[in-house]
Amino acid sequence: MAYNLLKGKRGIIFGALDENSIAWKTALKCHEEGAQFVLTNAPIAMRMGKINELAKVCNAEVIPADATSVEDLENLVNKSMEVLGGKLDFILHSIGMSPNVRKGKAYNDLNYDWYLKSIDISGISFHKVLQTADKLDAMNEWGSILALSYIAAQRTFPDYSDMAQAKAVLESIARSYGYFFAKKNKVRVNTISQSPTKTTAGTGVGGFDVFYDYADKMSPLGNASAEDCANYIAVMFSDFTRMVTMQNLMHDGGFSSSGITEEIVKELTK
Amino acid sequence: MSEIAQKVKEIIIDKLGVEESEVTPEASFTNDLGADSLDTVELIMEFEKEFNISIPDDQAENISTVGQAISYLEKNVNK
Repeated sequence: MAYNLLKGKRGIIFGALDENSIAWKTALKCHEEGAQFVLTNAPIAMRMGKINELAKVCNAEVIPADATSVEDLENLVNKSMEVLGGKLDFILHSIGMSPNVRKGKAYNDLNYDWYLKSIDISGISFHKVLQTADKLDAMNEWGSILALSYIAAQRTFPDYSDMAQAKAVLESIARSYGYFFAKKNKVRVNTISQSPTKTTAGTGVGGFDVFYDYADKMSPLGNASAEDCANYIAVMFSDFTRMVTMQNLMHDGGFSSSGITEEIVKELTK
Repeated sequence: MSEIAQKVKEIIIDKLGVEESEVTPEASFTNDLGADSLDTVELIMEFEKEFNISIPDDQAENISTVGQAISYLEKNVNK
């Protein structure tokens, strides 16, 4: 059911690789709720995935951009305003990549060039998106900018490796830039800390199935799905959440506040 | 070994961080050389850039070993 929550709103959605992506589900939801947006991803991710299929369904233009390149981002933001016919109301940053995780490098055996890459692509790129939108004066008043995080930014999940620092950087950038964007033109900046989700990126983390099941059992409501996350994002882009800013918003079925659950007790008393 | 074959091997060694001795014609990118889905796309794009051609997706799907990459490029690159 659609509520026209985002009627007349314009935005950019980063990171829709395929139908499992949270960004993919978010695009479908935002479209359903009446938003117009541009889809973007790195050229390699576009080649790997099927963003053009999504673009057709959402009647959206695709503008490739490497989110670590300020030049690419400037082009993306300028072209998006042109295509959409005005300034932006929302941006979703849903990108991340760690060569150390992909190559199975343990946290106590990191390759430092790759470490920097992980943090640049998954963390600092968010600052680049924010600063580019800021300098080009691309956001409307009361706009909303979101990035997706994971609780490993705050608690140790050994297999999450250097992505833990990347997500910590991401969450911290939302707090720091949120100040400047609020003062400039009342734009809010937040991160959503989402349950483990079966996406291409998520399942790339070692032992994913186990910590997916563990989180599911440790969350009184169970894991939040990608669809649930898309719904939450739509609300965060809507005018009903104007005063929420500089937060890391837990969207995890209660995982982060749970000490133990019956399901875990059962599992351990077997 | 042809010039193309040499270049292909260099790209694979560089992109996948493997030893030259592992890069045999039969070696599969994913099964033998540790490539993930993103690596395989990266390799195809790197071949395209190096040899200035475009490899359609349906052709790229059939390139999963070192030998397949070399023979595809030897056939399709204008010398």
